[in-house]
Amino acid sequence: MLFSRRLMLGLAMAGTLASALTFPALAGEGPTEIDLYFPVPVDGKLARDMGTLIKEFNDGHPDIKATAVYTGSYDDTLIKTRASIKAGKPPAAVIMSANFLLDMQIENELTNLDALIKADGTTKEQFLGQFFPALQGNAVINRSVYGVPFHNSTPLLYINADKAKEAGLDANKPPQTWAELTDWAKKLTKRDGDKVTQWGIAIPCAYDYCGWMMETLTMSNGGRYYNEEFGGEVYYDTPSMLGALTWWNDLVSKFKVHPPGATPGPAVSTSFISGNAAMMMLSTGSLTYVRDNAKFNYKVAFIPRNVRNAVPIGGASLIIPAGVEADKQKAAWTLIKWMTSPEKSAWWSRATGYFAPNMAAYKTPDMVDFLNKNPDAKIAVEQLDVAKPWFATYKTVPVRKNLEDEVMLVLNGKKQPKDALVAAQKAADETLKPYNAETSLKLP
Amino acid sequence: MSLAEPAALSVAASAPPRLHLARRFIARFKASLPAYLLLLPSLVFLALFTYGAMGRVLIDALYQRATPKAPLRFVGLDNIRAVLADPAFTGAVINNLIYAVGTAIPSIGLALLFALALARTNAVTSALRAALFLPVLIPMVAASALFLFIFLPNVGLLDHYIGRLLPVLPNWLGDPDIALYAIMIITVWKNAGYYMLFFLAGLQAVPEDVMEAAHLDGAGPFMRLRYIILPELKPTFLFVIVIATLNAVTQVDHVFVLTQGGPSNSTNLVLFYIYQQAVEHFDVGKASAATLLTLAALMGLTALSFRTMADREGGA
Repeated sequence: MLFSRRLMLGLAMAGTLASALTFPALAGEGPTEIDLYFPVPVDGKLARDMGTLIKEFNDGHPDIKATAVYTGSYDDTLIKTRASIKAGKPPAAVIMSANFLLDMQIENELTNLDALIKADGTTKEQFLGQFFPALQGNAVINRSVYGVPFHNSTPLLYINADKAKEAGLDANKPPQTWAELTDWAKKLTKRDGDKVTQWGIAIPCAYDYCGWMMETLTMSNGGRYYNEEFGGEVYYDTPSMLGALTWWNDLVSKFKVHPPGATPGPAVSTSFISGNAAMMMLSTGSLTYVRDNAKFNYKVAFIPRNVRNAVPIGGASLIIPAGVEADKQKAAWTLIKWMTSPEKSAWWSRATGYFAPNMAAYKTPDMVDFLNKNPDAKIAVEQLDVAKPWFATYKTVPVRKNLEDEVMLVLNGKKQPKDALVAAQKAADETLKPYNAETSLKLP
Repeated sequence: MSLAEPAALSVAASAPPRLHLARRFIARFKASLPAYLLLLPSLVFLALFTYGAMGRVLIDALYQRATPKAPLRFVGLDNIRAVLADPAFTGAVINNLIYAVGTAIPSIGLALLFALALARTNAVTSALRAALFLPVLIPMVAASALFLFIFLPNVGLLDHYIGRLLPVLPNWLGDPDIALYAIMIITVWKNAGYYMLFFLAGLQAVPEDVMEAAHLDGAGPFMRLRYIILPELKPTFLFVIVIATLNAVTQVDHVFVLTQGGPSNSTNLVLFYIYQQAVEHFDVGKASAATLLTLAALMGLTALSFRTMADREGGA
């Protein structure tokens, strides 16, 4: 008896398991259900704001039910999106770091949005015309639209106005050139013997931030960092980048006005807030954090130039991954257009500190009010006139790291700028080799 | 098993061997069928999520794309060769060796010291034991987030106090010469309390009468430690060393949170290298090859340690 009872038990368990595996819950009829993957690159409040936004969308669109799925950092969001594409169940829309689009397009992971734009009866030019021109470079690949700018940023120079005043400097006339900035940093550095008690300036260098800051300095030194038209080339071993890295290194080891070593973004902002660093270069995305936490007067200014005023953009675009079914694609497109409309764009900008990519957002009455109350939020928008696309290549992250690892060695006094850039160029060329073999070096 | 074999032999001699063996096999299978059925669900899940994944890694390690749009093709051992030739992988292996030795020895030493000091149970030692065990209860990710603030250059907790003593403040996580050691400090802090538990348990097993006899013979505390306690703790040592080595290869949460393998790959450990290959370089073939190499090394290590343990038990 014991035998058969055991057997029955085993069979019953196996049976339950099998039925659980083979009969998933039947999908109900109703609104088109879509998922939106969204990263939180700045702070926790953003997740709540996203919930508010999506609820408002669902209330206004009864035929679509969108769900916002939190997916971690920008890098994590790329990983999760790629995993779900591979598994055959891509989300209908993703807020994707703007410079990952090219890499994804090369890997056939994006839906070309041209057809959806055409179906609306608009032209590509009209559609893109809504957005600041600086943002279009990262959204358009081979003259096709692959992404819609959602929230964006540029790097800024933050100045502790109280410390500047103490040192006899006027923060209302911020430094405009590298020479002036070097001078300011020297005056703002306080020493106690050999020991520095207050740093003149801090620039972040951790993976991701370091590449962005190198691009910022290279661009304001007249350079380009990468080929905007083709994903197989970067310009690391160039005079413009050599000048940029040498100056950064000089701030550290020659003038000793910048803390040595590689310092991540949060450490730099903490240092600024605590008064340990009198100036810093950081994203406009940190502006809300600084506004809420600084117990002193601060000013934000353009990134100073050596050759020209130029900065890269940062931030994210909305994309539709490859392999999304037609009805979901249409629903996602409705969501994307709604989210990037002037009103929603402006609301999101005020909630997060990013600037709104849609130019009409700055004409909405709420936004005009907000900017009058917070004039520091205007600087990033004004700087957009000189902004350029964010570096994007085949395998963006490894190619960026090829440079960052070498820059970190320089900032730690382990390598000279020239040697570092030669090594970085060599490593990046190696990473880009397979793509070039298929494109620029594939000859008839 | 060793008990069953002679019995089977003696029966086999009395009857036609083949038929008997087959019948016996069927009977045995029938008897254990319910057991197999009961084990089936776990076997299904093991196959799906453990053996299946391992098999997949083995297959993936043999394939590679030449260019981004080219189809996957069979490349045999090329991926393994590529991994071995990658300076980042060799760097990660060296870092991991330094990390393993540099975390295992201090944390085991500290654990032994704590256990010896707190071997007797009373209110004070219980409180101290709890305090030393506390880091074990904090998840690695949370602990790393805490240390992010402690290690903040110039304004962090550590620099706030040490800063008064040193002329130049170290950038704990931003200097490639220091970062790996900073990571090691966290690991030692986190693991010492855990290993202490094993040594406390080991100390309970030291025979009381031997200790008393030594005491009567006039052996001092050092002599008792050297000739009685340490030899008695040998199995505990072996076990803890294996655990510590495995931890050094399998724990990378703090690398994720604190340094991402940087600066300049100075804190890149093998597991993080695999993650980078799979996720950042999107190179599944190379990631799988590196996984296979790591698995082989870990299996070798485990086999070696079990053999040492068996030898010890045989010799005792």
